Parts: sequence; C-alpha cells; structure tokens
Amino acid sequence: MFSTLQRARALAWAAVPLALALITAAGRWAGANAPTIGSIYLVVVLGLAAWGGWAVGATASVAAMLCFNYFFLPPFGSLNIAEPANWVALLSFLAASTFASRLVANARRQAEEAQRRRREVETLYDLCFSLFAVSQRPGVLGEAAARTLRALGADTGTLVLLDDQGGEVVSAIGEERLEIADAALARAREGRIFELAGRVHIPLEVGGRVNGVLVARGIAAPRTVLEPAGRLLALAVERERLLGEAAHLEAVRESDTLKTSLLRAVSHDLRTPLTAMGLEVESLGCHLADRPEAMASVRGLSLEQERLTRRIDNLLALARLEAGLARPHPEGVPPGSLFRSARESLELILAGRPVEVRVAPRCPDLWADPSLALEIVVNLLENAARSAPAGSPLELAAAPAGPGRVRVEVSDRGPGLPAGVRRMLQTPRDLRPGAAQGSGDSASGGLGLRIARSFAEAGGGSLALLDRAGGGTVARLDLPAAPEAEEGEA
Amino acid sequence: MTRTTPLILVVDDDPSIRQTLTRELALAGYDAISAADGVEGKAVFEERRPDLVITDLAMPRLDGLGLLAAVRKMDATPVLVLSVRGEEEDKVRALDLGADDYVTKPFSLRELFARLRTQLRRAGAAAEVLRFPGLEIDLARRAVVQEGREIRLTPTELAILELLASHAGRPVTLRQIIATVWKGAPATTADTVRVHVGSLRRKIEPDPGNPRYIGTEPWVGYRFLAEEEQGT
Repeated sequence: MFSTLQRARALAWAAVPLALALITAAGRWAGANAPTIGSIYLVVVLGLAAWGGWAVGATASVAAMLCFNYFFLPPFGSLNIAEPANWVALLSFLAASTFASRLVANARRQAEEAQRRRREVETLYDLCFSLFAVSQRPGVLGEAAARTLRALGADTGTLVLLDDQGGEVVSAIGEERLEIADAALARAREGRIFELAGRVHIPLEVGGRVNGVLVARGIAAPRTVLEPAGRLLALAVERERLLGEAAHLEAVRESDTLKTSLLRAVSHDLRTPLTAMGLEVESLGCHLADRPEAMASVRGLSLEQERLTRRIDNLLALARLEAGLARPHPEGVPPGSLFRSARESLELILAGRPVEVRVAPRCPDLWADPSLALEIVVNLLENAARSAPAGSPLELAAAPAGPGRVRVEVSDRGPGLPAGVRRMLQTPRDLRPGAAQGSGDSASGGLGLRIARSFAEAGGGSLALLDRAGGGTVARLDLPAAPEAEEGEA
Repeated sequence: MTRTTPLILVVDDDPSIRQTLTRELALAGYDAISAADGVEGKAVFEERRPDLVITDLAMPRLDGLGLLAAVRKMDATPVLVLSVRGEEEDKVRALDLGADDYVTKPFSLRELFARLRTQLRRAGAAAEVLRFPGLEIDLARRAVVQEGREIRLTPTELAILELLASHAGRPVTLRQIIATVWKGAPATTADTVRVHVGSLRRKIEPDPGNPRYIGTEPWVGYRFLAEEEQGT
C-alpha cells in the first residue's frame, strides 16, 4: 500500500522534466505564442500536482515559469524580461500555478484520506462481522483472535485472557509462539496500546475493564484501526464469558428442576405402596374386629406402617432440605390445631399413652409454615414417645415467650437425652444420616431431631433440648408469633 | 340421576389402591367403578356419570388436573383428589380448579370415607340458618349467635365465616376466599385473609389457640371443622 504510493510519487518527480521538455519542444516547433503556451504549462503543472502532490506541483510550477520565460518571453534564449507587462504575466503564472497545484494536491490528499478511512471501516466491519459469526458458536475465542489478527494483517500473534488473578493464553497464530512477560501484561491492564520489543500490545477493554490483551507482530493495518479492533475482540471475549456464566446458571437451574422432579417421583413411588399397604391393613382390621388375637397383629402392622411412613417423611424432608427445596411459607397456625394434627399423625405410636396439652390463654398463633411446623412437632413428639417408658405421660405446651415469640415445649419423663444425640445437636448443621450414628434406635431419633432443628431454623426459630426438672427431657421450640389482627373494618 | 346407592368412580394408576378402594367402597355400601388413568377416567365418567370421583393427581396420559377440568366441563360432580405430601402446589391448584376436597397419601379409609360422606351430603337446598354445635349463623339476618349470645363481626369477618360455614367439612382455598369476600381485589394478599381469620377466630372460638370451628389447612386455606346440625 505504502510502496505503490511512493512509486507513484517517484514517477511524478521523473515526469516533471520530461513533461516540461515535451511541451517546450512542441511549443517551439509549433511557434505557439506566450498566452497559449502559458495555459498549456498551467494544465501540465496541475496534472503533475494532482499526481505527485504539492511538492511536485510547486517544483513543476517554478520550472515551468523558467521555461516559459527562457523560451517564450522576449528576449528569447535568456531569463531577462524586456517588457514590464511580461513580468506581470510571468508572476501571475507562477502564483496561479502554485496556488492551483496546492488546491489540487489538497483535494488529492483528502481523497486518499477518505479512501484510507473507507478501507479502515471496511476492515473493522469485516472483523465485526466475522467475530459475530464466530461468537454465535461458544468456545471459539481462539478463532475470533485469529480472525482479528488476520484482519490487522499480522503474521504472528497471541491472545491472552486476563482475569483478576493473571493471564491465560488461549490462542496463537503464526510460526512461533509469542511469550508475554508479566510486566507487559501489567502494562496492558492500563488500557493503552503500546509497542514493546517489536510487538504491538492491544489491550481488550470493555466497560472500563481490560479482559485480555492481543499481542501481534507485523501488523499491516494502520494504527487507527487497532483500538476499535481491540474493542471488538474485547466484546467477543466478554460475550464468551457471559455465555459461559449463562450456561452455568442454566445447569444449576436444570439440576434444581431435576432434583425436584426426582424427589416428587420418589415421594410418589414410596407413598403409593405405603398407602395401599395401609388401606389393606385397615381393611383387614375391619374384617378381624371380632378376633382379638388377630387384631393384635393388625395393630402391629399398622404401627409399623406408621413408623415406616414417618421414616420416609423424614428422609424426604431431609432430601428437600439438602436440595434447598424446603422454602417456608409462613401463616398463622393455632398451637392447638398443630398439636391435634401432630397427635393424629402419630395415632398408633402414641396409643395408650396420656398426652397432656396445655395452650396458655391468649397465646398468639405461631407464624410458621404449617407443614414444617407439623414436621417439627411430630418429630419431637415421636422422639419423646420413643425415649420415655411406655405409658408415661407426655406433655405438649404452648405459651407466649416475650414479644412476637411463641414457645412450644414437648416434655417427657424419659431417661434424658443420650449423650450422642446431645453432642450431635450441638454440631452445626451436619445432616448426613451417617453423622447420626449412635447406639441403636437413637440414630434415627437423632435424624428426626436434626430435621426438627433445621426446619425450626428455616422458619426463623430455634430448638433446644434441655434436661427436665425431676427427670426427662424438654424440647423447647421458639417460633415467631403471628402478627396481631387489627380490629375494625377491612 | 335416580340411584339408590351412590356410584363412585376411582381413578388411580396404581392397581393395588384401585382394587382396595373399589372393594372397600363396595363393602361400605357404595357402587364403585374404576379407571387406570385420566383418559380412561374421562370416558368412564361420560358413560356412567358417577355421583363422586376419587382421583390421583400423578397419572400417565392424562393427570388428575386434566381429568378434573374435563369433569368440570360436564358436571358439578364432587371430585376428591388423592395428593401426596410435598406436592402442596398441585393440591391447591386442584382445589382452585374445582376439586372439592383432598386426602393426602398415605390416608386411612376412615378419613377417606368421612370426606366422601361430607361430599355426598353436600347436595341439598341452601339453608337460611346454618346451625353448628354452639354456633348459629343466620344468613338472612346476617347474625351470628354463639352459645345464645350474639357476636358482633365486621362485614369482612362475617363474609369469611359465611363462606367457610356454608362449605362445612370442605376445604376453602385462600384464592376462593379472596375471590368471594374481596371480589378478587388486586391488593388482597393471603396475609390479609390470615389476619382477618385470626381476628374472627378470637371472636367465635371458645379457645382461639385450639380452634373448634375454623381449622387451618396447611398451604391450602381453611376448613370449617364443625358438622352442621341436621333438622330445622
């Protein structure tokens, strides 16, 4: 590009004496008069200025003036001028040709400038287009970098992605791999294009953040396109990053959906046979109502079915918690209703055992997710029933506990908490079933207590297990109270 | 429909539940038929026009919600939904789509039959006065009398009580309450309903901490617990 322009200039310089000699000879031969030859000289000077630029034009006009004077103004054959009027003609020729060649050269230069800018825009447009085409396919930043380097006419180059920690080379074109010093990377982070050791470093900046640097050798494109090209590539890098993030989020969302549907399927598939089994046992109970010895077995079956249901409820609740799917939907829950539902859920486990229920007068409703609150109380009650001696009474109590809180207590006269369960409840949030490994049955009881505590915490409450005065355990659950209704019209 | 014994349609994809339920229904004195999924259920419904439908929600081909929609297009037949714990949204959606009640798996026959009787009893002329043990609601006079003593309720509380009591034994969703009492006013939230139910309970319940009349249905809304007294 530059060499063709220089060749054109050199040719224009060479053309100056040739053209003038030709015109002079032709004018002499034809015997042209001074005004005619003057205007011909002017045309030739303008042509040379347009071809070779202002310097060629100026030289040509001086040379043409001298030829005009020497050959066509009397006395011929000398640079003297006889008539003062011819001085005027000569000077006006010089002024006109110089001025005009200046204008012509300027116009020419502007045309060239426009041409150059057009080529730059074309380069960037092509680059933009090819980068866009590339970034439709994720994971091809290397190709985007290669296209940018090709658009810039570079023979060798490397793209380095920058993050907060450091740089990562993602692609290279050319024979050799360009090693980039840490110092160069640090300088690139400032966001300005610079040259170092014969390579151009183009920082890729978008939104005030340098997300990479393109290092190239042998760039043919004008410097002016480097910055916009860098910005385009920066956009491609940014887009790639965002696509990556979006894919990650999508994966997380899909895994949540999968978890939910898996839990649903498991829940449905486990509860359906359990329901069928329960119905059969109940039906059997109806048929055998008059056979006490068989009824003992039926009751045993029902009890086991209820226990199995509780285990499955617990495991599914645990799975929901771990999958982050247990989001509480609080509403006002009267403690009495909660206690009634809990006792109904454990009808057989509590059979033959007195349960004393005390709800303090003017005790506010609990502000809790009813399903979670029920799960908590059922677990506490089941745990109490399990640990206390058969037939010993259990107590359910609810009372206000300071402003905006309600305290629910499940008390038993059992042997107190096994050390294993107590220790386990003190360790924070380790819900793995294996973590509940204690002696025998207390393991599953511990799981129930853990679930109770996790649900209590999820509902903005707390659960503590305390030794009861006179022997036994008190499970103390503190939960938010429902907001007071305003008296008056809606 | 002139039947002496009510005809019950059981729709469940699980054969054990289907068999047990039809057998037990027959033993309890009902006529029972069954279908294995929503598509079959819909066909059987069209042909036999049962008096009540018991349907599972998760089924192949056409699920319980689809069957419910199909039934509702044909008739106001009571539909009882078998739901599963942890799928409360489906249950609420079914009720909002016109299901009349639900039981949660695993349920007992006793529970199911109690719900079923409530649904079958439901039909009948609208009474002027709803009488419950210890509570009388005079719909014409818009007065509430508890243990012989008249209680002053705000119009909103009265409207909620009338809605719940006229659906005694059946669940009423929060959305149904908002639609009926607030005419679906856009700013009404579930919490608004809960606040008003809270104050209603304090006025009509002898022991608000242990409600006798207005029970909370987790996730769903409320259920009027007391049974209407028969007779005048």
